[in-house]
Amino acid sequence: MTNILAIGKREFSAYMTAPIGWIILCAFVVLFSFFFVASLMFYDQASAEAVFNPYQADQLNLNDMIVVPLFGNMQIILLLAAPALAMRLIAEDRRTRAIDLLLTSPVRSSEIVLGKFLGAIGFATVLASSTLLYFGILALLGEPDPGMMLSNYVGFILLFGTLLATGLFASSLTENQVVALMVAFAIGLLFYILGWIGGSMDEGTLKTTIEYLSMVSHFEELQKGVLRLQDIVYFLTFIGFFLFATTQRVEALRWR
Amino acid sequence: MIEVQGLTKRYGDTVAISDVSFSVARGEVVGFLGPNGAGKSTTMRIIAGSLGASMGTAKVGGLDVADDPRGVQRLLGYAPEVPPVYTNMSVRDYVSFAATLKGVDDVPAATKKALGRVGLDKVSHRLIEHLSKGYRQRVGLAQALVHDPKVLVLDEPTSGLDPAQRVEIRNLLAELAEGDRTVVLSTHVLGEIEAICSRVIVINRGKIVAQDELARLAAVGRKVKVEVARPGADALAALQAVPGALQVVEDEGRYIVHGDTDLREAVSAAAVPFGLLEMAGREKLEEIYLRLTSGGAS
Repeated sequence: MTNILAIGKREFSAYMTAPIGWIILCAFVVLFSFFFVASLMFYDQASAEAVFNPYQADQLNLNDMIVVPLFGNMQIILLLAAPALAMRLIAEDRRTRAIDLLLTSPVRSSEIVLGKFLGAIGFATVLASSTLLYFGILALLGEPDPGMMLSNYVGFILLFGTLLATGLFASSLTENQVVALMVAFAIGLLFYILGWIGGSMDEGTLKTTIEYLSMVSHFEELQKGVLRLQDIVYFLTFIGFFLFATTQRVEALRWR
Repeated sequence: MIEVQGLTKRYGDTVAISDVSFSVARGEVVGFLGPNGAGKSTTMRIIAGSLGASMGTAKVGGLDVADDPRGVQRLLGYAPEVPPVYTNMSVRDYVSFAATLKGVDDVPAATKKALGRVGLDKVSHRLIEHLSKGYRQRVGLAQALVHDPKVLVLDEPTSGLDPAQRVEIRNLLAELAEGDRTVVLSTHVLGEIEAICSRVIVINRGKIVAQDELARLAAVGRKVKVEVARPGADALAALQAVPGALQVVEDEGRYIVHGDTDLREAVSAAAVPFGLLEMAGREKLEEIYLRLTSGGAS
């Protein structure tokens, strides 16, 4: 555990001291702010129209019109942000040969992988925390559902973790960070668009399987405020699979 | 302390090292010599547990690297040729991080001691990316030393350093070699081997071509350089007549007598009538190295 924490702390510090961490943080905040302001303006416009339309007034809902769309937009941001955050985790160590320190110290491959994942998740938490301000503003303006907010944050962290685990695996495949970024983005995108493919298929086992594999369908349930065990298990299984694959890859680096 | 038996490493059809066997006793300081690509780094990486062997075994302190890599890594400090540093960390933070990974109990004390030993105290707050190559090499040494290992494996620790830095690192290595610490050191600077090592292992094209004490590797008297006051045809004939002399070469007024036994006494006797000025019959390390790595292994 000491090794995992030490590696996690180092990786987290690396994000906070390197330009890539701040660039991603700034880009995330700017994009999130844009989506937040756009949602507020849309809500404001809908409120103005509702003055003359009692039926529309009944439909006005802070959760459905701001919270859910905001977290929906965050999925798209994460598809790009997570591979960009994860691309350096192992590829950079291999390029600079810093990985020799890890491989020649009495540290298990699984500890290396978990430590790096922990550091990245730590930074993801910082990104997630930066959005609390906006929901604080929302709480001052109206009454967003705390349960729905919580399930959306759980979904956000699980999705971020899944994409980071994918990115960590891609980073272990190459010394080239750009290649790692592209591989991670491709895997993430594949599991994202699986939902669309499944949606256009006829009912049957294949459709069910494809829809189950899609990240979107599981994230959408959490977005609605429904905390289902099967969705949490899906994301945790995904994370576990890619962390295991990365561990095998690091072990191969040690002995190849 | 180190037992290497039949070590072979293949990359596809390419054989990096083949049937490498040697042992290093506790407290011994051994130089690992060989040209670029000879297999020195491959052998050292296998011993350090960062590379697997295709065949053979490497043991450190009785522990097999393949079976118990972490056990070996607790005993061993490894400094690769390229220091394995995180350039965005400060020197102190990096060495402290290395100490934690190596399972040191008192990390601050071990970090302070390692930084002091390699002379990094004054730059400990600086980011590694701002350090010169010499200082980065020291950081690489500090991480290898921080857990006070019984065995040190150092791959080209003075590579790329200027002469003054080399002297500093050489003095440090001599200090580290004191006591019962076992050190295996690879270098291209033969002077370092002569200054520090009691024994050398010479590897060429992936195979061990010699391993012995330096003095015993030198082919004493088999190549005698002689300078006489009155060189000429008579002197050349006298030297050619020396029993055991196979060839006499004239080189800038001096004669080099080659043979396959110790010729020194006979050559001096033949040269005295012509005014013997100077005679040398002991090979320099460079000559031993070139002889062993040019294909003529002995």
